[in-house]
Amino acid sequence: MKKIILSVLSVSLLVFSCSNNDDDDTQLPLGDYDNGILVSAEGGQSASVSYISDDYMAVENEIYYNVNTEILGVYLQSIGFNGDLAYIISDTANTIIVVNRYTFIKQAEISTGLLTPRYITFLNGKGYVTNWGDGTDTTDDFIAEIDLNTNTVTGTIAIAEGPEQILAKGDNLYISHKGGYNINNIVSVIDTTDDSIETITVNDAPDEMAFDSNGNLVVLCSGDNRDWAANYVETAASITRINTTTDTVIETLEFAAGLHPSQMAHDDDEVYYAMNNKIYELDDDESTLPTTSILEIADIYLYGLSVNDDKVYVTNASFTAQSELLIYDLDSSALIHTFNVGSGASKIYFN
Amino acid sequence: MQAQINTVQKLDAVILSDSKLKNYASGIKIEKLTDSVLSKNAMSLTNLLAFNSNIYFKENGAGMVSSPSFRGTTASQTAVIWNGININSQLNGQTDFNTVNTSNYSSIDIRSGGGSVQYGSGSIGGSIHLNNDLNFSDHFNTTIKTGYGSFNSKNLGFNSSFGSELWTANVGVTYVDSDNDYKYLGTDEVNENGEFNNLNMNVNLGVFISDKDILKLYHQSYIGERNFSGTLIGPSRSKYEDENFRTMLEWSRISGEFSSKVKVVHLHEMFKYFENKDKDNYSLGKVNTLLINHNFNVRFNEKLQFKTILEYSNSIGNGDSFEEPVRNAFSATALLNHKPNNLLSYGINLRQDFTTGGERPFVFSVDAGFDLFEHYQIQINGSKNYRIPTFNDLYWQPGGNLDLVPESSYQIDLGQNFNYPNFNVKLNGYYINTKDMIQWQPDTSNVWSPINIGEVSNYGVELEVKSHYNINEHQFNVSGHYSYTVSEDLETNKQLIYVPFHKGNLALAYNYKAVTVFYQHMFNGDVFTTADNLEGRFTSLNGYDVGNMGCNYTFFKNTKNELETGITLQNIFNEVYENVAFRPMPNRNFNIQINYKF
Repeated sequence: MKKIILSVLSVSLLVFSCSNNDDDDTQLPLGDYDNGILVSAEGGQSASVSYISDDYMAVENEIYYNVNTEILGVYLQSIGFNGDLAYIISDTANTIIVVNRYTFIKQAEISTGLLTPRYITFLNGKGYVTNWGDGTDTTDDFIAEIDLNTNTVTGTIAIAEGPEQILAKGDNLYISHKGGYNINNIVSVIDTTDDSIETITVNDAPDEMAFDSNGNLVVLCSGDNRDWAANYVETAASITRINTTTDTVIETLEFAAGLHPSQMAHDDDEVYYAMNNKIYELDDDESTLPTTSILEIADIYLYGLSVNDDKVYVTNASFTAQSELLIYDLDSSALIHTFNVGSGASKIYFN
Repeated sequence: MQAQINTVQKLDAVILSDSKLKNYASGIKIEKLTDSVLSKNAMSLTNLLAFNSNIYFKENGAGMVSSPSFRGTTASQTAVIWNGININSQLNGQTDFNTVNTSNYSSIDIRSGGGSVQYGSGSIGGSIHLNNDLNFSDHFNTTIKTGYGSFNSKNLGFNSSFGSELWTANVGVTYVDSDNDYKYLGTDEVNENGEFNNLNMNVNLGVFISDKDILKLYHQSYIGERNFSGTLIGPSRSKYEDENFRTMLEWSRISGEFSSKVKVVHLHEMFKYFENKDKDNYSLGKVNTLLINHNFNVRFNEKLQFKTILEYSNSIGNGDSFEEPVRNAFSATALLNHKPNNLLSYGINLRQDFTTGGERPFVFSVDAGFDLFEHYQIQINGSKNYRIPTFNDLYWQPGGNLDLVPESSYQIDLGQNFNYPNFNVKLNGYYINTKDMIQWQPDTSNVWSPINIGEVSNYGVELEVKSHYNINEHQFNVSGHYSYTVSEDLETNKQLIYVPFHKGNLALAYNYKAVTVFYQHMFNGDVFTTADNLEGRFTSLNGYDVGNMGCNYTFFKNTKNELETGITLQNIFNEVYENVAFRPMPNRNFNIQINYKF
């Protein structure tokens, strides 16, 4: 018995959109969680997803539980979207839960064939999931192929240590190898027509990736700053641009020693990255890293970053209590909203 | 009277390794659990204390890591004392109460309130004392214990004590093994990957080498292997192997009003954590500690005694998460106890520590007991206590912080005791303020690192009631505890997580000839599981009531060869409860014990 909660607010939203029926662009919401922001939380104890409507009027935490009366597995690493579906990946639980992205009603669960799954992308009717395998084993990492019709793992592609984010373009998959429990320095390119793998060497700890307005792949490498590690040598962070036709590095914009950015987002023709609680902006055509930030974030534990429509969204993660979602306006640099979201909030998606 | 006191004092020195627990504690609440209580309870120290004391436990599922909260303090603010020696881990500052098997101890004392002067770091909420008494008399007693229960739980134990007036030995070996695959009530899941087994061995020897000199050797080994069980929100493949070896050689000399003891102690702790139990990769941590302790006691007369303690310890750590840290510590302690008259007994105690790499506070305590009326006593004590940063806090890579200072704590405790022949009531109120609490937080480069940040106030009341009646051959025993505990983060004014405001328990036992029937009940109130103190499925846990009952029948009672049989039903109401979020506790289960004494 699935319980669908129609909040009063989305009813009023509905009424509002109906009253504007002379405007033919109006679309009825496709579910309670359409037209809003989704914030996924890894979970200090329990993973969750929060919803905030675009007009900030409706806020609901634990939406997956509220709809399905079932607890999400920990730790919620990421959510992938494909058509009307959202794929919620829990790494420790080795599961992917498939829900309708607008109603959050559970459609399926993939719980075999995954081992520490991290991110998912979609290509030619298949899902591809990066898996660390055993955190302490450097040789068992793989990409799981998902049959999207049956929601089963139908094949695996062995790959180098610590595959993290994954993007698809043409017939190719691009995978950043942050390194799992270690540090790696490659981007793998899998040609799905024959499953052949090429590797592109980049700076240490490549994680966030995006396709920019020139069709290049932009990779943020945080560099090695594990000053506790044995035989540690600090390495430079970089923003690396890769040509996706030749699969070679076009340019590497290196950061000065001691600077290690951690999150990156891409919107329109700008790369945004976070470093020491400041947000920097880099134009896709610019080959020099900015020296000044465009926004100073409050003194928070900045754990997630997204940029959309001239607004910067960051999470202030707490693993012992609720986290916060902070929304800044890029034009005025003002903090315009703060919402309480789940424990360990890490990713911000626009639904 | 004088002679009697002398005898008692001498006996203390002979039998106890830690006579200060008795002789320098006029104003301190101490609850003693004797061997008869120990033998009636489950063998894990967690279950014993959960049902028979004011202490609240946080257990990561049955048999998993278990940590105490004593008067609302943290696990590393509760010291565990083995025959006078603080055995909290150098790595994480805690003792896992599921690694201590109670059946190899003569008695267990629960000492409430601050005890850093006597027992060092971590004695803020209180301390738990594991005692092995040595019996210098002609005797030979052996018990063989076997048991079987739900979830394929097996235990096998052997205890033997023998000796004469000049020498004595006792040996205890206990092995426990369980599949631990209990049902998660209300779901179709079971507790997977929860298997555990452990071996505890205690060997204690004592010998008079002259009429004034006694040599004692205490040894305890623990070897455990546990899989860490899954939860409602994620499976587990991990395994944890740990071991503790503790050895103490003690030479005590009693000469008239003077007595002195020299102890040389070696403590070894080691763990291996396997993220995947089927693979050979593991992370390791270990610490070896060598400790030398000298104490000297002088009794000026029956009213006044004075003790000095000098202790040096050297701890060397080793592991995958730090290089090879070394900690040297030296402490000097002075204790004074004075009974100016029959009404009053008071103590003044001082201690100064010196440690490599870090300031150590000067600590003190004062305590007093007033026997106001025949059946009424008031106890009061105030103290300053501390908890030093652990090896993990200081050296863990990444994040270890060498600039940490010890947590420091002031407290005051006021108790009233009503003592009647068949009836005892203790009512205590306390206030504890602890600052420079060590908390791990993400720093600016997103590395988790500990800092001295928190300040917490704990205050509350504790009630302890004990009663026993004998009507002809019918014996009735009642014991109960209730505590109201506030543990408030002074920055947020919120209750600390996993500290219930209310906790209580009740134990009833009835014995007639060879038959004993007992019932135990424990109530734990609601707890918050997140720091913002929100009520709800993901932020708090509901309170719960757990009842156990059992009966024992003894064949050949009062002969040399007793055969004791017993069955215990645990969680008889099949209560669905979680002690730690998303980790359900066992459903109704049984255990059968057969013990043979000869």
